[in-house]
Amino acid sequence: MAHERAAHASSNKPLLRAEALVKRYPATRGSGARQEVTALNSISFSIYPGKTLAVVGESGSGKSTLALCASCAEKPTSGKLWLEETEVTSLTDAELRAFRPRVQLIFQNPASAMNPRWSAEDIVAEPLLIADTARKARIGRAHELLERVGLSAADGPRSLSEFSGGQRQRLAIARALTLEPKLLILDEALSALDNSIAAQIVNLLLDLQEANGTAYLFITHDLTLAAHFADEIAVIERGVIIEQGPTAQIVRTPRDERTRALLNAMPALDSTRAAQRRS
Amino acid sequence: MRYLLKRLGHGLLLLFGVSILSFLFTALAPGNYFDEMKLNPQISPDTVTALRARYDVDRPLVLRYGKWLDAVVHGDLGFSFAYDAPAAPLLWARAVNTLILTVASTLLAWLIALPLGIWSAERRGGAPDIAISSATAILLIIPDLLLALGFLLLAVRTGWFPTGGMASVGFAALSWTGKVRDIAAHLALPVTVLTLSTLPVLVRHVRAAISSVLGAGYLRAAQAHGVPRRTLLYRYALPAAANPLISLFGFSIGALLSGSLMVEVVMSWPGLGPLLLEAIQARDLYLVIGGVMLTAVFLAAGNFIADLLLYWADPRIRQP
Amino acid sequence: MKITNQNRRKVYAWLIVLVGLHLVIACAGFFAPYDPTLQNRERPYAPPMRVHWFDATGHIHARPFVYSQQLRAGSFDEYEEDKSSALPMSFFVSGSPYKLLGVIPLHTHLFGAGETQVFLLGSDGYGRDLFSRMLFGGQISLLAGLMAASLALCTGLLIGALAGFFGGWTDEILMRVAELFLALPWLYLLFAVRAFLPLSVSPLQAFLMVALLIGAVGWARPARLIRGVVLSAKERDYVPAARGFGASDFYLLRRHILPSTWSVILTQAALLIPQYVLAEVTLSFLGLGVPEPTPSWGNLLASLQQYSVLTSYWWMYLPGLAMVPFFLGYLALASALQTSAEGSKI
Repeated sequence: MAHERAAHASSNKPLLRAEALVKRYPATRGSGARQEVTALNSISFSIYPGKTLAVVGESGSGKSTLALCASCAEKPTSGKLWLEETEVTSLTDAELRAFRPRVQLIFQNPASAMNPRWSAEDIVAEPLLIADTARKARIGRAHELLERVGLSAADGPRSLSEFSGGQRQRLAIARALTLEPKLLILDEALSALDNSIAAQIVNLLLDLQEANGTAYLFITHDLTLAAHFADEIAVIERGVIIEQGPTAQIVRTPRDERTRALLNAMPALDSTRAAQRRS
Repeated sequence: MRYLLKRLGHGLLLLFGVSILSFLFTALAPGNYFDEMKLNPQISPDTVTALRARYDVDRPLVLRYGKWLDAVVHGDLGFSFAYDAPAAPLLWARAVNTLILTVASTLLAWLIALPLGIWSAERRGGAPDIAISSATAILLIIPDLLLALGFLLLAVRTGWFPTGGMASVGFAALSWTGKVRDIAAHLALPVTVLTLSTLPVLVRHVRAAISSVLGAGYLRAAQAHGVPRRTLLYRYALPAAANPLISLFGFSIGALLSGSLMVEVVMSWPGLGPLLLEAIQARDLYLVIGGVMLTAVFLAAGNFIADLLLYWADPRIRQP
Repeated sequence: MKITNQNRRKVYAWLIVLVGLHLVIACAGFFAPYDPTLQNRERPYAPPMRVHWFDATGHIHARPFVYSQQLRAGSFDEYEEDKSSALPMSFFVSGSPYKLLGVIPLHTHLFGAGETQVFLLGSDGYGRDLFSRMLFGGQISLLAGLMAASLALCTGLLIGALAGFFGGWTDEILMRVAELFLALPWLYLLFAVRAFLPLSVSPLQAFLMVALLIGAVGWARPARLIRGVVLSAKERDYVPAARGFGASDFYLLRRHILPSTWSVILTQAALLIPQYVLAEVTLSFLGLGVPEPTPSWGNLLASLQQYSVLTSYWWMYLPGLAMVPFFLGYLALASALQTSAEGSKI
């Protein structure tokens, strides 16, 4: 189990800290009346270097909005976000650009997050293209990364349509790793994959975390997966974190009704619980 | 209902925009225009002075626009220098003829395109489909100008159809049915050309729309229930494909109006086309602007009819 | 993938056909036996001359030949073949000088028959060879169509991309303006603007005016299509992904958005060029385009508006048929491009 592994020397200072994040969206209904939807309602959490925080919730709970705010793709309506001691919520777009390499986002649908006309190596090397690196260096690094995620450098020139779903997600991870981020945010990144493929990707992610000390913010609706993968779990419902704590604690002694409901809906996590339910 | 009002408002706004542009065109060369007119011996100096006063050449633009718009709404479309008469009655008489030609062609084209397209879609890949596809392809690659001239040539050399105008010399003396037959005979060739030029696009789109609907599950279920073929096609498939087809209808009106302009000139059908051409050659400013605005109104009206059809055909639009 | 490969071959095939057709027109000086403005007052309205291999006695000739034309006895405008005078045709003959592609001075023509003119498609009221006028007329009409299409597509691309990418007020205003341009049927719109331009101008001015006019007025439809493509490209997650790597708006437009418009632009080009060629032809036909003596496919057909020409001189219609192979080529190309675009979607 993830929380039983010997982890990297974790520092006491959080890599990413969110304090009272609120995000509201204007939404118009058919009749023309304007209403506001509160996607996030005062969310606070911390992610430590080399650790994994899983945020679990049903659809509509605000998980994706959380991903967008945590990655600075969107600015929260109110609240603060700190990235390694710097308060990023008050920065301008230009100032923010320097911080972007540190946090990378991986989407649920890998096909739509990559340009279908580009070859695999171009896709993976894109962050370097934006940073104006020379072509030879870019492609070299792309090949290196392809190998690291379990693909081969020979796959470089192939076009996106030649890869399967699981392989495309590996490409997305390779691309995210290009700038050597400290935090990877995975927004339902495994939901579209078959279980066996997802398991392979999880193993890849765990290996990368051991090798590089990358922290993960893992957003999912699958509590079982979260339990296998994360050091800490936060349960979110309708924009509010209803329970948060180390994985073992959440799984064995959930405090909130709704967390318990989620747990009961999942297949048994270990033999003791399975026995409990059968009796 | 809301949808219809919104579409009506949109159409009116568009016409408003066109009217502003039209007015600006008339206002942009006023001084020169009237000076040119003074030199023209055919127009009396009194007319020029009267016109100058009427169009208030020296007043501010906004006021002039207001006055102009007021006149237009009341049916006064300015003055034709070439004909030395008010523009509106001239335009209106011709506009009616254009409408006769365009409406007849539209009806005929759709009347032919729907069954042909449906038949093609049903027998996809079969002999009738290939024959119809080839025929439409051939029609598509022949420019409509060549079609018009070709038919004219045919008419002249065979003498089967009248080759111009709307009525024969002895029209006034004919009986009611005689008059109708005479106009129909004159209408035959222009309508044929206009219909043939719009037909290929319509047939192809009907075929595509029906094809995409034919594969749907609910149609197969109906078929399994024993619904007869014709009912299946016309009462199940066609209404489902109505949406893109009605959009196509709105879209094709503009092309049809442009086509009718050319056909009218080539085949001497007395519509807006020949009048506008004369007006341009005679530098008859208000006649040109009036004619152009009328066609904008026709196009807007046609689009609104398409919106009405869509409202009637698609229940999803009636929901809020 | 199979579909795309087969289709790609189709696209290239039609492209080659079109290039070939355009080359013939571009080298009109070589393919046309005579200068298009060369008048022959002795043979006005001469019908097309038939090319023979066998003569009246059934004897085959080494070279094809034509009979010279003479006026039928008792007629003032009907011609017949003068069987006593057979004129052999030669190939690669020396004739009036011209500049190939406007640059290389040459005087070799594909065919000719010496002193007497060979009218393959007949002659017009001034005795000018219709075949030569058809070839040179194609230069004017095709070039006008190509220029107008380029103008309309460039303008449409610029406006559509700006509207789609930046959205908001930019989008609203630009699309409303586009709607205004689409509120009139295209030929009436052309008429309206043409009405305010001077009527009698030199052929060069008229040509430029017509090309610019058609292009300037036709940007609205391509702009809307391109805006649609840009909007859907903007929705794709690779845009926020790239922003996450620090991409600027300019980078996004250049590397992701604009390349995705390429297939729409190509298909639109294949559809618009023939439409715009037809627009020039229609305008010139009606006397609002390129004037005499410069030939354009439009003004070549203009004389057909006279009743006498329709009844007696039907061959004046033939030059118009030159448009058909070009329309075929462009429309087939557009169809192949559309199919290949659909095939390459994920």
